[in-house]
Amino acid sequence: MSERVVVNLKLNGARRTFEVAPGRRLLDLLREDAGLTGTKEGCSAGECGACVVLLDGAPVTSCLVLAASADGHEVVTVEGLQQSGSLHPFQEALVTHGGVQCGFCTPGLAVTGAAALARSPGDAEERARLLAGNLCRCTGYVKVLEALERASSEEADHDTRRERAHFEEAPGHDPLGGHHERPDARAKVSGSTRYVADLAVPGMLHAAVAVAPVASACVVGLSLATARAIDGVEAVITAADLPGKNLVGVIFEDQPLLALERVRMVGERLALVAARSPESAWAAAHLVHADLEPLPAVHDPIQALAPDAPRVHDAGNLIRTFRVVRGHTACARASVVVEAEYRVGGQEHAYLEPQGCLAIPEGRQHITIVASCQCPFYVQQAVARVLGLSLAAVRVEQAPTGGGFGGKEDYPSELAACAAVLAFATDRPVRFVLPRELDMQVSSKRHAMVIRHRWGADRNGHLRFAEVETVLDAGAYIGISTVVAERANVSSIGPYHVPAVRVTTRVAYTNNLFGGAFRGFGAPQVTWAAEATMDRLARACALDPLEFRRRNLLDDRRRRTCTGQSVRRPVLARECLDRAAALAGWDEFHARTRHQDGPAREGMGIGLVLYGCNLHHGGQHLDRSSAVVILQSDGSVVVRVGLTEMGQGNLAACQTIAAQALGVDPAQVQVWQPDTTTVADSGPTVASRGAHASGMAILNAVERLRKRIDPLAAELLGCDERDVLLAGGFASARGDPDRRVPIARLAGEMASRRIEGISTGWYRSTERRFDAATGVGDPYEFYAIACHVAQVTVDAELGLVRVVEVSAAHDVGRVIHRDVLEGQIQGGVVQGIGWGTSEELKLDRGRLANPSFTDYIIPTSADVPRIRIAVVESEGPGGPFGAKGIGEPSLIPTAAAVRNAVVDALGIEIDRLPITPPAIVAALSDRHPFAWVAEEEKAHGRTEEPAAGR
Amino acid sequence: MDVPVQQVIRPTTVAEALAVLAGRPDSRPIAGGTDLMVQLRDGRKRVSCVVDLGGLGLAGIRQIDGGVEIGASTRMDSIAADDGVRRHFPALAAAAGTVGAWPIQCRATLGGNLANASPAADTAPALLVAEALLTVVSAAGTRRLSVVDFFLGPGRSALAPGELLVSVFLPLVQIPPDCRLVERFVKTGPRLEQVISVVSLAGRAAVRTDGALESVRLALGSVAPTPVRAQRAETVVTGRRPDPVARREAVQALQHDIAPIDDVRAPARYRRIAAAVLLDRFLQEAARV
Repeated sequence: MSERVVVNLKLNGARRTFEVAPGRRLLDLLREDAGLTGTKEGCSAGECGACVVLLDGAPVTSCLVLAASADGHEVVTVEGLQQSGSLHPFQEALVTHGGVQCGFCTPGLAVTGAAALARSPGDAEERARLLAGNLCRCTGYVKVLEALERASSEEADHDTRRERAHFEEAPGHDPLGGHHERPDARAKVSGSTRYVADLAVPGMLHAAVAVAPVASACVVGLSLATARAIDGVEAVITAADLPGKNLVGVIFEDQPLLALERVRMVGERLALVAARSPESAWAAAHLVHADLEPLPAVHDPIQALAPDAPRVHDAGNLIRTFRVVRGHTACARASVVVEAEYRVGGQEHAYLEPQGCLAIPEGRQHITIVASCQCPFYVQQAVARVLGLSLAAVRVEQAPTGGGFGGKEDYPSELAACAAVLAFATDRPVRFVLPRELDMQVSSKRHAMVIRHRWGADRNGHLRFAEVETVLDAGAYIGISTVVAERANVSSIGPYHVPAVRVTTRVAYTNNLFGGAFRGFGAPQVTWAAEATMDRLARACALDPLEFRRRNLLDDRRRRTCTGQSVRRPVLARECLDRAAALAGWDEFHARTRHQDGPAREGMGIGLVLYGCNLHHGGQHLDRSSAVVILQSDGSVVVRVGLTEMGQGNLAACQTIAAQALGVDPAQVQVWQPDTTTVADSGPTVASRGAHASGMAILNAVERLRKRIDPLAAELLGCDERDVLLAGGFASARGDPDRRVPIARLAGEMASRRIEGISTGWYRSTERRFDAATGVGDPYEFYAIACHVAQVTVDAELGLVRVVEVSAAHDVGRVIHRDVLEGQIQGGVVQGIGWGTSEELKLDRGRLANPSFTDYIIPTSADVPRIRIAVVESEGPGGPFGAKGIGEPSLIPTAAAVRNAVVDALGIEIDRLPITPPAIVAALSDRHPFAWVAEEEKAHGRTEEPAAGR
Repeated sequence: MDVPVQQVIRPTTVAEALAVLAGRPDSRPIAGGTDLMVQLRDGRKRVSCVVDLGGLGLAGIRQIDGGVEIGASTRMDSIAADDGVRRHFPALAAAAGTVGAWPIQCRATLGGNLANASPAADTAPALLVAEALLTVVSAAGTRRLSVVDFFLGPGRSALAPGELLVSVFLPLVQIPPDCRLVERFVKTGPRLEQVISVVSLAGRAAVRTDGALESVRLALGSVAPTPVRAQRAETVVTGRRPDPVARREAVQALQHDIAPIDDVRAPARYRRIAAAVLLDRFLQEAARV
């Protein structure tokens, strides 16, 4: 037993004394011993900044400070930034300027920003540099930097108040399309939002997992004795100890919760541990000894499909083949044909909050799961299956979720299943939070794909045919790879009119990390390839890429998609292209002489997407959702929905939709996080369907509720029931706005007369026809179109890509909440730039070699381009009030536009993503001015130097 | 989670610290902790006792006879902002401002950056071109050594067990008559801020009025098992104008000064080319300024 250390702090202004273990980090002292959970743990390695606090006034990452070292010093946490109950001006600006999304990075960001303000940061570049140690995966930093700028200007106070007064000043103003404060922003920015890791219940144990270090092996035996002997360990369990089915696959039953005989990927779960402290749990997990006999492995999806490849599962490595066959590509006459093979890499979600959940058992009869997740109903099903319980016996509450992007679609089911079996094994609550490296190593990834193209156009630059052959690397388990492939398959040719199409999309098992959902869901990869080929064809036809696209875009006359579906009018592809090109100054850029400052090369590129809104035909049975709306006696409104908030703004969207429909101030509407016991299964929060599906169910609930509100209102107003209007906080009579009654009074009257003030709502998408064998038909109900134009500067010697500007035009139907919409676009653009230029999954025999924010390089605040946004609204098909989802279209075309801009800048083709500095230098090959140094080195060997290296 | 150390000792004098370090072979000093805490957590370093240097008063920058002395516990943020360092040793000021991100710079110390002995240590190339002198103390006494002799390999330095780096002395530059001085630090990596350098370069050149380089010092990081001086490249350009021919020969010579490897951050070939680019640019700038 080690000694205790006394630590005296001036903590948020008060003198405090703590007695802690010598190895205590300041972060743990703050969170565990002082109960200040506003400071978050995102990476434990000083890279993400979520744990930043002020130590003697300077921002430091508290995960790297020994508590003992802080003895005698002053510490200020996010909780201490507020003064006399008011938020710090930067916090206030983050709230009012839409700078908060998932909120997990926000407290650290608020602290660093406050420190930056205290030293009066200089220009925009300096401000971006000071915040570069605080990673944010949601916002794209744009609104965060705007907030810092506002807070640093003297006008801050004034501006802030004006914006907040927005609704009150204009009581008749519709909430729809506004930018009122997000309902979750204030709690998040002050550090009071409780994420899973901030929740503790009496008697709670901590979970850990022992995983396989190799990609393919036979499990000969597991030795658990030394792990069980660790002090504090309450349970170590393996596959043999599971009460229900040893299965976690969402769609296919190919994945065990715990490995039985085979290891098929690095990170395969072997045993689970529950212990009284996380230290004991992880120490024990590391001591689980697995006797593994190596088996052959396959790591390339193309090789995996060869007949003699090692089989990942007994049935073979080809999981499924999807096709689109429309017209005869072989007969299509084309004067220009291009062929290419693209290798598009995967992506790590890098949400700032690691995966986590809390399982609270009740007598082995039922269980409550509190989880950071996108899909509580998936978690419910997974837990019920492994515990052998009915769905009704499993309650899942979604905890505030610190980013998802698809990464918390299916993996949380696995994590919750682990926590649940440990909770039942010990009859104690169990919290399971993954450390960052393990989270990156074991969770799903965007699929790597190999995409082969053969496309042809005629002499006039009109596309004649497109042949696409895609192979997805599913990894060792299917998960939802087939669903991803389904979307990739039908998204393969973009928003272009092509008379003959042949697409083949194959899904292959390998012994790599498993692929899963990630913002765009298969569309970003095929879009990247399609837009690359469009630029190739434009060059081959000697046409400007803009003009070539104009000749081929779908429009109100030529509306047939890849699958032959007629896009419902208006088809806004041309509108989006022209708006983005105008914002980007395409014509001016091409008219002027390009700057050639030494090795710096300028370029501009286009990317377009035709995004099928909501779920594909194959998943339409899940395209439903449920809502509950309760009008309280004081006129406030409770809304419950089944789709989740993970930072994207679903709470704000639902709040706005309900407020608009009921004519109340959004601040009167409280939308609660989903709980599987309050609404019916609403399907997953994926496919940009959050606001759509929950909004439609809310509108249905309000419509039903109004059947009871309107007669009463009509009675009070003395008008006809059909003439009751609800707006601006009042019920009024149509045509006589002076005759009105406050909705609060109406609600009170309803309550006192015992009129039912609760209503449920339901939504389901319309049935579509789609032939899975030919891939022809209507996979989606309607489409959204987006165009991004990127301008880059490339250092042609170091290979560094600097994205200077992205102009984004989006066909959104109708804006629900302006800040949320812009935040989605900005965040999607920056995440797309990361995927396209710096984020590389470096796999070494199936093991991720860079599972940290040190070496998995996501954009910082210093990498943000100028982002110009054109919102294209229309009276077309859509969801609530005509709105279309924005979450995914915001990301999909970005990397393609950047790729085309880089190619434009350098004059060489690039067929691999990501386009990192080494990738550019490799692609330049002999054209690099210093290519000879590497050759020279090879020729001379290293005879003069001793061989050196690590 | 706690890091696995059993004891923290917080001495208030250097003598006290040295006594602990001498008596406990399982002990290790900790200053900012920005490297050590990560290594303790992931098990790359196992240390049962850490000796916190925070109470020793080793932080501070002062002008002394013939140079500037920087205490080992001085934080990167202070070094980057110090007027004297910025004026006399701009490469060091620039390098200190690129260590991690701002919250790391507010914690990481110069002594820690050196003692960690990473080939990628950002301040190392700047100190190498400054030919900084390090003051090292132990129970046996005080010794001074040149930073040139300090780095032995990845994670290995000339510090013996029980020794403590207490300060770094940077001699003021003697600018030869009729010369102007050009000193730069640049690093390249996969993004603009918060990167571990894939290649870094510090250069200092005294440029004669005719454009020839009276003297040149070059040092690089992340291209060999330790930060290295590029003496072959220095020799090639010394006394010459850095015209295209001289620059090409310097780049050629540089390839024998460095020995990069393939690792998770970049392939060796990229590092060779990037090193060539950074050197070429420094020499071009020296010719231009």
